[in-house]
Amino acid sequence: MSPSKISQSAISFLIIISLFNVFNVESCFSEDLTLYPQRIISLGPAVTESLYLLGAEDRILATTVYCQRPAQAQNTEKIGTVIDVNIEKAVQLKPDLVLATPLTNPKDIEKLQSLGIKVTTAPAAKNFSQICEQLLKLGKNVGEAERAEEIIRQVKARVEIIKKKAGGRASRKVFVQIGANPLYAATKDSFINDFIEYAGGTNIVSSSGSGLYSREKVLADNPDVIIIVIMGIAAEEEKQVWRRFKGLKAASNNRIYIVDADKFCSPTPVSFVEALEEMVRILHPQDG
Amino acid sequence: MDKKIFRWISWLLILGGLLLGISALSLCVGSSGIPLKKIVSLIFTGRGTSAHTILFDIRLPRLILGLAIGGALSLAGVILQGMFRNPLVEPYTLGISGAAALGVALNIVFRFHQTLGILSLPVFGFLGAVTAILLVYSLYIRKGIIKAQGLLLTGVMISFICSSLIMLIMAIARSEDLHGIVFWIMGSLEEPNWLLIKVTFLISIFLLFVSYLFCLDLNGLALGEEEAVHLGINVERTKRLLFIIASLLTGVSVSVAGIIGFVGLVVPHFVRMYVGQDHRILLISSFLCGGGFLVFCDTLARIIIAPMELPVGVITGILGGSLFVYALYRKVAKL
Repeated sequence: MSPSKISQSAISFLIIISLFNVFNVESCFSEDLTLYPQRIISLGPAVTESLYLLGAEDRILATTVYCQRPAQAQNTEKIGTVIDVNIEKAVQLKPDLVLATPLTNPKDIEKLQSLGIKVTTAPAAKNFSQICEQLLKLGKNVGEAERAEEIIRQVKARVEIIKKKAGGRASRKVFVQIGANPLYAATKDSFINDFIEYAGGTNIVSSSGSGLYSREKVLADNPDVIIIVIMGIAAEEEKQVWRRFKGLKAASNNRIYIVDADKFCSPTPVSFVEALEEMVRILHPQDG
Repeated sequence: MDKKIFRWISWLLILGGLLLGISALSLCVGSSGIPLKKIVSLIFTGRGTSAHTILFDIRLPRLILGLAIGGALSLAGVILQGMFRNPLVEPYTLGISGAAALGVALNIVFRFHQTLGILSLPVFGFLGAVTAILLVYSLYIRKGIIKAQGLLLTGVMISFICSSLIMLIMAIARSEDLHGIVFWIMGSLEEPNWLLIKVTFLISIFLLFVSYLFCLDLNGLALGEEEAVHLGINVERTKRLLFIIASLLTGVSVSVAGIIGFVGLVVPHFVRMYVGQDHRILLISSFLCGGGFLVFCDTLARIIIAPMELPVGVITGILGGSLFVYALYRKVAKL
């Protein structure tokens, strides 16, 4: 065989191989995706946000009126609130997967299931690792596991850097308020506790469970920083209430902050790390 | 006498017609309108279509449950008001609803429904109701006589104690459990389990029949207990049984649909105003009218802010309350 012939056959061989590969990849790809849910209804803001993160947004049929992040999600079809689903509309849309949350009315979930619609409910994430787990689970559910893993890898790397930095700094005593009248605190059961600890702070609320908390106890513990995660004008009012206590370090040093509740309360890995970075800026402003 | 029977029959026809109209309306309207003509064709064909599912698996169960619960609560209201001769008594006055709510709240907080299944919620509600009934019964009826005043006050106190205990549970509950309790307290006719709906419907119809055994006794009691004794009525036994019937009606309604206020208070008064005081017609009319009223309110609750849904108690309170005030005003103005 002449060298040219060898090279020719080698090239054709390569072409055939690559064609085959392309076909193979494509066929297995399309097959794979059709195996996964194509018509998804999301019943929680974090779920909707995660679907966008995973690139599954074109498979979303409808979301709730509370699904405001990312901005495109506001234009999706709305099927009720986080707690209350319009069953009739859900049936009409013919979904093959409904993603519920612990806030969804349990009767609605049961009803949808009895009508033959697949419903999966993700439990409320209580810390960072559970948030990651849930994205991974969702990724597997909709056939985007690799993308989920990639996102989690990146986010974990960012979180590790922040944690390392925080380790060398003096710890700040922090109180995070998530509700007014009655006073509600972020407890050990909440992923907000991870924000505080990763950012180099100590949550003055050491209990877990319900976050119903006493104002006197906050004054006695005298936190360095108070962070208010409440929507609307109640947040500003609460800030004024804390400022009235002169003996409070957070008040006298002007370290009472109001943060974006949508971002701080949305348990997806990406918003977690964004909120964490904001938390670092709040706790250690001198770092710039 | 013939005139009276004619009047009764015409009332029954009117109420039955209204009930049919309301039922048809509630089947037709919703997030997707299904015209009446199409319903007929859907019954025979159209299996497997989403319209068929919406009609027969979503709207029909709700309609039937609404009829059963509305009827049961109104019937309980008529019986209790007649028996105590007190216009402010309603099914929830006796503390039964509060105790049922407490049962459900305990179930949710201790997560029994996760191991025992979601059907344990109505079961716990009913257990709570039965506990309250037994408590009131043993305190006030064991000695053979019902002291109406004591009974009512105890009922009111049980309600208060239960609602405080529920608040205690809610204050220390995890946030995810909190919602389950709030849902239940708001009351809803959304019930996924067909069997439960059928059982509720049969029980309320059955108790309607049982209550008819006492319609003449109730008429006697309306004259006053002493007169009733003179008429040869075994007053204490009758009151005991009526109390149990009303409690069962309330207990079943509350444990399936949660707390839906106002139906049991307003409907009996309304019916009495138009149909008259005779319990022979009052019992069945209240049942029909209560069922129709609740289904109508539920239909409104479904469509007013669609795709969202209002708690049905919002509509029963606003609509029932204002209609009642209006009717009362008309009646007073006429005098």
